[in-house]
Amino acid sequence: MNLTKTGRLSAGWKIVLILLPIMTALIALGIGRYFITPAEVLDAITGRFTGTYEISDMAYKTIWNLRIPRILLALLAGAGLSTAGCAFQSLFANPLATPDTLGVASGASFGAALGILLGFDMLGMQVTSFAMGALAVALTWLGGSGKGRGLSSVVLSGIMMGSLFNALVSLVKYVADAETQLPAITYWLMGGLNSAGYRSLMFGAPPIILGIVILYIIRWRMNLLPLSEDEAKSSGVNIYTLRVVTIICATMITASCVSMCGQVGWVGLLIPHMCRMKFGSNHLSLLPASISFGAVFMVIVDTVARTMTASEIPVSILTAIIGAPFFIILMRKSGGWQL
Amino acid sequence: MKLSVEKGSFYYKKNVPIFENINFEVKEGEILAILGPNGAGKTTMLRCITGMLKWKDGKSLLDGEDIASMAPRKLWSKMAYVPQAKSVSSAYTALEMVLLGRSSHLNVFEAPKQADVEKALEVLDFLGMRALAEKKCSEVSGGELQMILIARALAADPKVLILDEPESNLDFKNQLVVLDAMSNLAAKGMTCIFNTHYPAHALQRAQKSLILSKGGEYVFGDTISVVTKENIRKAFGVDAVIGEIETPGNMLKNVVPVNIVSDAEALKTTETIEASDGDAWNPKRCIAAITIIANSNEMADKINALLHEYNELLIGRMGMPYRECGLYIINMTLDGQESKILELSHKLNILPGVSVKATFAKGDFVTEPEKEGKVE
Repeated sequence: MNLTKTGRLSAGWKIVLILLPIMTALIALGIGRYFITPAEVLDAITGRFTGTYEISDMAYKTIWNLRIPRILLALLAGAGLSTAGCAFQSLFANPLATPDTLGVASGASFGAALGILLGFDMLGMQVTSFAMGALAVALTWLGGSGKGRGLSSVVLSGIMMGSLFNALVSLVKYVADAETQLPAITYWLMGGLNSAGYRSLMFGAPPIILGIVILYIIRWRMNLLPLSEDEAKSSGVNIYTLRVVTIICATMITASCVSMCGQVGWVGLLIPHMCRMKFGSNHLSLLPASISFGAVFMVIVDTVARTMTASEIPVSILTAIIGAPFFIILMRKSGGWQL
Repeated sequence: MKLSVEKGSFYYKKNVPIFENINFEVKEGEILAILGPNGAGKTTMLRCITGMLKWKDGKSLLDGEDIASMAPRKLWSKMAYVPQAKSVSSAYTALEMVLLGRSSHLNVFEAPKQADVEKALEVLDFLGMRALAEKKCSEVSGGELQMILIARALAADPKVLILDEPESNLDFKNQLVVLDAMSNLAAKGMTCIFNTHYPAHALQRAQKSLILSKGGEYVFGDTISVVTKENIRKAFGVDAVIGEIETPGNMLKNVVPVNIVSDAEALKTTETIEASDGDAWNPKRCIAAITIIANSNEMADKINALLHEYNELLIGRMGMPYRECGLYIINMTLDGQESKILELSHKLNILPGVSVKATFAKGDFVTEPEKEGKVE
């Protein structure tokens, strides 16, 4: 029996998983109010390095200043949220776990709202958001973990922390200036990738990339996560460390995603489950698939969000509208979801 | 590999001991059955033995080395744990699940390699489970899942196997499949410890037994001297009949509970037989003949080793390999304490693929002076 039968990706799938996000990104780069053909997109990209390009300055600038950062953000956020969701579902052996299970997104939202209230600039807001997301998870861990307590008390603690920070968000909204700050906060909370820029990526991308890379490296070990406590211990692996590493990585990713593009729901739940239906539960193939399809999904949804109407539609609305029915169809076809 | 526990004590609350001063030893190739009523702490005991829970006092030793001071990866490459097969929430295929058993042999960044896959398949083959390799664990039957979990444990190439109620919740056939797998492993030199609710399974499978009562009292020793009516009455609170059923090959022991005894009554039972103190019970002298048919060379060796251990009982012995049929037939005559003879016959009966029957001389017999010296 060959290795692919043990959950490794076949060579064909490997190529698909690598090429699909790249192709999608190249096509998405051309789509928008100002249409650019894929050939011109390639010309613009190579032009940056060769110094000569044949397309107009306008197209070149649109691609390099507006669309590339935005699509990079979409790729990262999609891959990241889907990886984090996948990790949390396995960690808690619960198919309903999402990147927000431990209260990261609520914490990060509060941080962002606070940033807006205090009148911080984009980067300042991103920093407070990231910090608050991490703080929320740290508080969740302090509250729920402990000797003899199972992971379910961590989940409960996460739900508490989530509602606490949601209340704090409401508080910030309540005291915010109703003319300027409140709409900004509300709009930000809906989620969107319109804030994408190289500066925000410089700060936001490293935690996402680092988290994904670490989880990718230990992906086979992640298979131990859904096992019961005793089973996991009897594997000879330090299950406590494995859990903490998983939580830190997933938190880094999620906090950074939320700090850049607000609460984008659904990706973290939808994509890993879609991948489980196709690739099974083995993280050797599940994790790469989640990364790749998460990125593709986000780029597509964001492209639709920015081109469908004259003004942009918040991306979280679209992820739900596209995601929910699609997911239900898939679930009914494949006979249920499972870890 | 030898596993022993010295002075093991455990409690959750300081003044309420779960068990105190537990001492026992299981040798290579032996099976130890841990018996006890619901709530006596059988699973807690297994968790303490394996170091998943720390003994409050005392220690577990693996070939003399304290388990608590061993690195987890080293420990779990020698010892493997088979949990009770409850439903699993993860939809791994059987092969993926078995490969997880290789964890202690791989470093953090490694995924299983071809050699690991081959090991996993070899284990599945050994258990006759190869056909299930690509089936999802969430879609197999309870018996199949238990076998997959045993396969996962074996994939680590352990010397000691710990099984938590491996045959609970299984139907007759699957019970046999699981218990036979355990017996075969022990016959190949695996040290096994299993928890069970069934005293009969201890009698049919285990050389050694440990009966745990609520309140931390325990008896440990050779199964035949430990799993008795008195001890069952005391630990389980039932009057039971221990009977024998004759099959063409063996005498199978069976235990049938017949009557509930109140807790107070049960505790009054004082005739607890002291651990492996064979001399204390049934000192009657007996003469017996035992006939053995073994179906493999391997088993013949095991039988010879056992007979060597009980050499003092043997007064006559004739062995003959019947090569055309691959059988080894041994006839022997024994003279000695009834308890010792029963012990030997029980240990022979436990070996897989071995038919054993003992016949005892009736009534009184004349004691000739020259033979007396040998027995005493």
